[in-house]
Parts: sequence; C-alpha cells; structure tokens
Amino acid sequence: MTDVLRPADAAACAAALAGAARERRTVRISGGGTKSYLGDMRPTDLTLETGALSGVVDHVPADLTITVAAGTRLADMQRALGAHGQFLPLDPPHGDAATIGGIVAAGSDGFGRLRYGGVRDQLIGTVVALADGSIAHAGGRVVKNVAGYDLNKLLIGSLGTLGAIVEATLKVLPLPEARALAVIRCDGPAAAFAIADALVRTPLRPSALVVEGAPREWNVYVGAHGPRAQVERTMRETERAADAQGTRADRSEDDGPLGPLRELPATAADGALVRAALPIGSQRSFAESLVRSDAFARFVADAGTGIVRAHLRGEDAVVVSAADTLLAGAAAVGGSARVERRAPSLRDRLSAWAGPKPGGHFLMRRIKDAFDPGGILEPGRSAVA
Amino acid sequence: MVAGLRGVALGRRLVDLLGEGKVLWRPEDLLLYEYDGAVDTAAPDAVVLPNETADVAKLARFCAEHHVPLVPRGAGTGLSGGAIPVLGGVVLSFARMNRILEIDVADLRAVVQPGLINLHLSTAVAPYGLYFVPDPSSQKACTLGGNVAENSGGPHTLAYGVTTNHVTGLEVVLSDGTVVRLGGRSWDGNGYDLVGAFVGSEGTLGIVTEITVKLTPLPEDKRTILAAFPTMDEASETVSAIIAAGIVPAAIELMDQLATEAVEAAVGAGYPLDAGGILLVEVDGVRDGLDEQRERIEAVCRARGATTVRVAQNTLERERLWAGRKGAFAAMGRLAPDYYVLDGVIPRTRLPAILRHVREVGERYGVRIANVFHAGDGNLHPLVLFDGSEGEAVLEKVKEAGFEIVAACVEAGGSLTGEHGIGMEKNCYMPIQFLKDDLAAFRRIKDAWDPLGLMNPGKVFPTPGRCREYDLRTAAAPKGGARRATAEKKKA
Repeated sequence: MTDVLRPADAAACAAALAGAARERRTVRISGGGTKSYLGDMRPTDLTLETGALSGVVDHVPADLTITVAAGTRLADMQRALGAHGQFLPLDPPHGDAATIGGIVAAGSDGFGRLRYGGVRDQLIGTVVALADGSIAHAGGRVVKNVAGYDLNKLLIGSLGTLGAIVEATLKVLPLPEARALAVIRCDGPAAAFAIADALVRTPLRPSALVVEGAPREWNVYVGAHGPRAQVERTMRETERAADAQGTRADRSEDDGPLGPLRELPATAADGALVRAALPIGSQRSFAESLVRSDAFARFVADAGTGIVRAHLRGEDAVVVSAADTLLAGAAAVGGSARVERRAPSLRDRLSAWAGPKPGGHFLMRRIKDAFDPGGILEPGRSAVA
Repeated sequence: MVAGLRGVALGRRLVDLLGEGKVLWRPEDLLLYEYDGAVDTAAPDAVVLPNETADVAKLARFCAEHHVPLVPRGAGTGLSGGAIPVLGGVVLSFARMNRILEIDVADLRAVVQPGLINLHLSTAVAPYGLYFVPDPSSQKACTLGGNVAENSGGPHTLAYGVTTNHVTGLEVVLSDGTVVRLGGRSWDGNGYDLVGAFVGSEGTLGIVTEITVKLTPLPEDKRTILAAFPTMDEASETVSAIIAAGIVPAAIELMDQLATEAVEAAVGAGYPLDAGGILLVEVDGVRDGLDEQRERIEAVCRARGATTVRVAQNTLERERLWAGRKGAFAAMGRLAPDYYVLDGVIPRTRLPAILRHVREVGERYGVRIANVFHAGDGNLHPLVLFDGSEGEAVLEKVKEAGFEIVAACVEAGGSLTGEHGIGMEKNCYMPIQFLKDDLAAFRRIKDAWDPLGLMNPGKVFPTPGRCREYDLRTAAAPKGGARRATAEKKKA
C-alpha cells in the first residue's frame, strides 16, 4: 500500500522528499491526479499530493502576472483572474480538475498555443522542492528576466522527475474583447490542411486552428480571440480559405465544439493515443499515412503548432503496429512522438517512449542524476530515466 | 582558477591544430578581443575563427586536454562582459560562421549559423512575408549566437516574447568536444527541454554552432504612437494605465529628457525636447481593429496628462521614431565619453517609484543618468554617464551607483537583468537575488553540461576571488526579491 503525504507548505514538501531520499523510498508526485496515464508508470512507495499547497499567493492585475501554490486548480485560478477581467491563456485538457503544478510538470498545452504561447511561454517563475530537501527558486515575478539558468524550462514536462513544484508564477492577459469559432467540413486531410496552412501564414494568429479527422469525416476549427474587428476579419479570412477548397465555414454559437477535441487525451482510454510534435509542413502526410491504418479511430491536430494526436483502436497487435509506424514516421520527418496513453492491456507491449531517444539524452541523464542522485522521484516515468 | 596551457605557446599549438588562417595569437591581433559592449576588459591568449562545427569540436577537445577556457563571441555587442575572457584562454569568434543554412518556408523555420547578424535573417526572409521576432537595439550588429547565449530581448518582446520563445533547435559543442543536437523544428519534444535550458546560459554550458528558429508572418500593419508627458511620473504611470485598459501593445518604450536630448542631437527623430518623459507605443497585427486600439491608447495618454500625442503617418515616419529609440545608446556619446548601462527589471506597477529612486541615486552620487527602456516589460536601462579618462575611481563610483539601483530592483520583487545577462558584470550580485540553494541548483545544471568547468569561466556564478569585496554588501542587502516583496505585502 502506498503511503500518502500531503505537505502543507514548501518546507514540509522539501522535508518529505529529503526523508524519502534518506529511506530510499520512491515517490510519485500527484496534483489533481488527472494525468496518471502519462509516461511509463511504476509503482512507488510514496505518493506526495500537492492538494494542500493551494491558493493565489500574489496577483497584481496591472503587472499581468499571478503567483499560485502548485496545487491550485486551473479552474479556480481562472475564476480568480476572471474577477479582474483577466485569464491565464492556457487551455489544457482536464481543465476542470488539473492543478497548475501538474500542468507545468506535464507540459500540458491546449489549442491556444499558436496565439498565446504555451506553458513554456507563460511560466516565468517556479519554486521547487528537491530530493535533497532544499528549495530552489528559478525565474521570478517579472515578465523579462535572464538572471541565472532557466530551471523553469527543465521543469516543464519533467513529469516530477527533478523535484516537486510548489509554486509557480505565470503571465496572464486581459480577457479578449470578442470570440468566435468557425467549423469547416472537408472531404479529407489534404483540403483540411490546405485551409489550416493558408491561415497559419497570415498575421491573424487564430486562438485555435484545429484539424480533426475520423474515418470519412474531416473538419477544421478556427477560433478567434481579440478586438472585435480582428475577430471578424479572422472569420472572413476563414470563409475565404474554405471557399478556396470548395467548402464553407459555419459559425458556431460558442467554443463548445472544441471541448471534446481538447479532451481527447482524457477520453481515449482504450487502444493507444499517440502524440507527435511535427514540423508543421509534415502534418498532412502524417495524417494521410494514419488514414491508411486499420487502427485509425480519431485524429486531432493543433495545426498551427504541429502537435498532433492519433487515437488508435482495434486488436492489440494492430494498435501496437500502427503506433510503431507513427512513432517512426514522426522521427523520419524530424519530429518526435510518444505514446501518451494506452489501455492497460498494452502497458507491457507499448512503452510511452518507444520511439528514438531525444537528442542530448545523455545530458538529460546527467541533469536527472544531479537533481535526484538516488533516483527516488517518479522512477521510469519520463523519457529520461 | 583554471590552470593550463596559455600564452604564445597556446597560440602556436592552435596554429598546428587548426591552421594559420583560423588562429590569432600575436598580442596586437588580440587587442580587439579584450572588450565587448560593456565596461570590463581582459585579453585572451588566442582567438580562433572556426569555419565549421568540426573546427569547434577539434578545438574543444584540445582545450579540454590542456585545461584552456573557451569563451564564445558573436559581434561583441554584449552588455555584461559575457565575451570577455576574464580567466584568459581562447576566444572563439563566429565571424566566419555567419550563413543562413536553410529557409524552410513550409515549416516556418530557418536554420542558421551562430555568427549570422540578427537583422540579416529578417531581411532574408522578408520576401516570404516572414520575420524573426526578437529585435535587440543592436540588431544591425549583434549575432544570433549571441542572442541565444544572452536570451536577448528588444522593444517588441512585450507581446511576442524573447529569444527563448523563438528558438526550437540547437547544435551545441560541449567542452569535451562532443557535438550534440537538441530539439529540432517542432514546437517541443520528449525528455527535458535542453534548448530552453541552454538559451540564456551566457556561453557557460556549451558552444552553439547551429540554430533553428521560428519565423513569424509579418504584421499586416502597425500603428506607432509618440506621447510626450511633462514628467517621468506621468509617463510611467501611463504604462500601467494602458495595460489596465486591457491593451497589450507590441511595444511600450519610455525615454527621459536627458536621453531625448542626446537622441535629437544624434538622430533627429523628431522627439519633443521639452518633454519630461516620452512614450513610444506600437500596436501591430492585422489591419482591422488597429485604429480602434490606437484611439484607445491615445485617449489613455491624454487622460494621463500627455501634452503631445503624435501618430506616425507612414513607414518613413515610423522608422524615424524607432531610429531614435534604437540609436539611443549610441547617441549617449553626445552627452559623455562613456556610459554604464544597467538592465534591472521590476514589476511594471513599480515603475514610477523605481524611477524616482534612480534619480535620487544619481543626485547622491553626483552622476548624470539617462533613461531609455522597455517600460512595458518593466525592464529599466538607466545609463550612467561618465568620463573614463578621469580615472579608475570614477568607474568605481559609477558601478557603486549601479549596484544601488539593481539592488533596489531586486528588492522591489524584480531581477538583476532582463536581457543583458549576468556575465562578469553582475555575477558578484547574484547572492542578492538568489539564495544558496538556488545557486546550488544552477551549479548542478552547470556541472551536468560542463563538468570540466572550461566554458566561459568567471561568469554568472559569484567567483570567490573577485567577488570578495561584494560579500559584505550582498550579505547586508535584502535577499530574495519577489519572496521578500510578498512577505511585506502580507504584513501590510
């Protein structure tokens, strides 16, 4: 049975990690517990829950920054910001229950990345408890800062393998004046990506530019945030891009249709979900190769950034083979891919990190060893160790 | 101190290793490499001008074997002594590795060598309707390699981010000669974000030999607004007022009267000379809605006491307004033979208070201080004017004044540096912003990349010898910036 620790502050968190390191007990770090499917999970002796590290630490609206304890839920943060006419421009999956610490540790982004940037662009400061019981501060509360190494970047996507994030400072923005969403039905990935490509080459900076595919159904979603005139212009350009492909753009009442697409990692519990980061010009061929696979169930591309997800379903052997093909395909075009989620029956057959090792893997190992020499933090979970 | 092969003997060995044409070792040839854009100097033992990555790797292997420090150098425009070989060794000049290797329009990427000049990239990709966003004021001279090392900013970072937000891939030579490729053309990858960790590491983790950057569609149009205020207080309060009105412009720059005087004499940008403070505000993007944003900004400026509000009517007028801003540092020569530029950052709501403090420090030390800076980011650039020919004591006094100002920035919850880097200029000040455990975490990162300790030694981290005189003062100074600011707010 795993022991659960719920430290009440940064010092308690650091002490808990130091204690675990001394006793050589392995630790899982858990925020909202929403993304426990990520990475190669091994059982640990302890679970450190960040739920008690919660709340807004500092928010000066005119500074456009907010500092929160890591266990703060994104939804609560958005509510607090909304009261001041602001928002954190991150729209990751599990937005209802995910905590900011978990979002940072998982590098969890949504569709707003093209317009606003992702976690990597919004995070300006962190406080992290390390395995030796020390507490390190990186970055700060100012939007521009080059003092010291950017430890923030190492923590994003580290999946808890370097330390437990206890506090984070992020950039926020005024809520957009207007919003709109258009949906375009297409006859296949070629037309869908032609529309997306036309829009990504403009200064429109859509708030969402998503290509969705299922066997015999392809759609493009174009979202716009900003001053009303800019939003209307984006919608007009969207109509023009649709027209050029012989189809049409329909305005949606609200952002609703994006929800299920954003939540694909949350809902794709069967088969396997492959997440690839591709050069944007390679998305179309990646989608077309997926279409030929028997395991193809669903495809969602954040087409402006090349972050694509493919949900594979079917016999285990078919899913594994299709996943391998996609992992190899991503590497072949200079991208990378991971198995973001897979059914329990596939756990032993399909590693999250089955693709080629990332460049500089030996450096990652050295960094991991420097921060967690005993290897107690999330053993095996990330691509590093 | 790193001890190893040095002096003319080192130069001769490097000539044997790399060939005559790639090595400078005669004292008169080395003089040029003693300084950069800041105020500190130190001579290298040799300078190497590599043609390709293989030269760099070969050099690094040799230097590892002979314990020779490696100091990468771009155009030498750096403002924190980053390219100064404070412990001697080899300066690596990337003047010959200055090519654009690939413009990948389909993927919105370019692959370049580190010696490429920043502005040359944007010029080369403009025909495709694209540009490279970070635009440091030195962009006509500074190199992409230097931008990567320093995580350079520029006026337009408020909306679009700094260098780290626009770099996706690197080729790096480590201090043992290993060549490693990090990241690539996609927006992220598996494992740790080593590209993110490397950008801004000031040449202390490795030598960048190839850079993959994001290219961004050019804005369709821009509106550039000049607003003149009677005092700096009104000008700096307007910065937060614009943000509070829900507008995040692409740039908000601020200039005081002394800076304006110099700029007008040098560039003739058309700034009103009687203004206490001048704001330069730019919004850009698609044409639609730009005029509404401009009107709202103008209204905020007027409501806050602007005496003149002027909008650039065409590209020529806009470029003239920006020429004044980007030429401001160079224009300081009109006011004094030398200047010492600071780079502190504060939360932008603290601008009025910190600017009053800067003025007070100037008066107390009897030095003139001009201000021209990225107000939207809260990134100050006080320029402390002096005459270096008056002797060493003057520079010391100027540095003292500078220390007081950056310490005040940290105390206000800010940072020692927003874009110029720590280098050898502020490494002794690191303990006022970072606690022992923070510095220990940085040390772990450093040792993982450069276990030999040969990459740009004497930078970023406090050095026991040179920093001893600062130990007492940094010990007395309040620690921890933002942490302290929050604690005080809670008390209040």
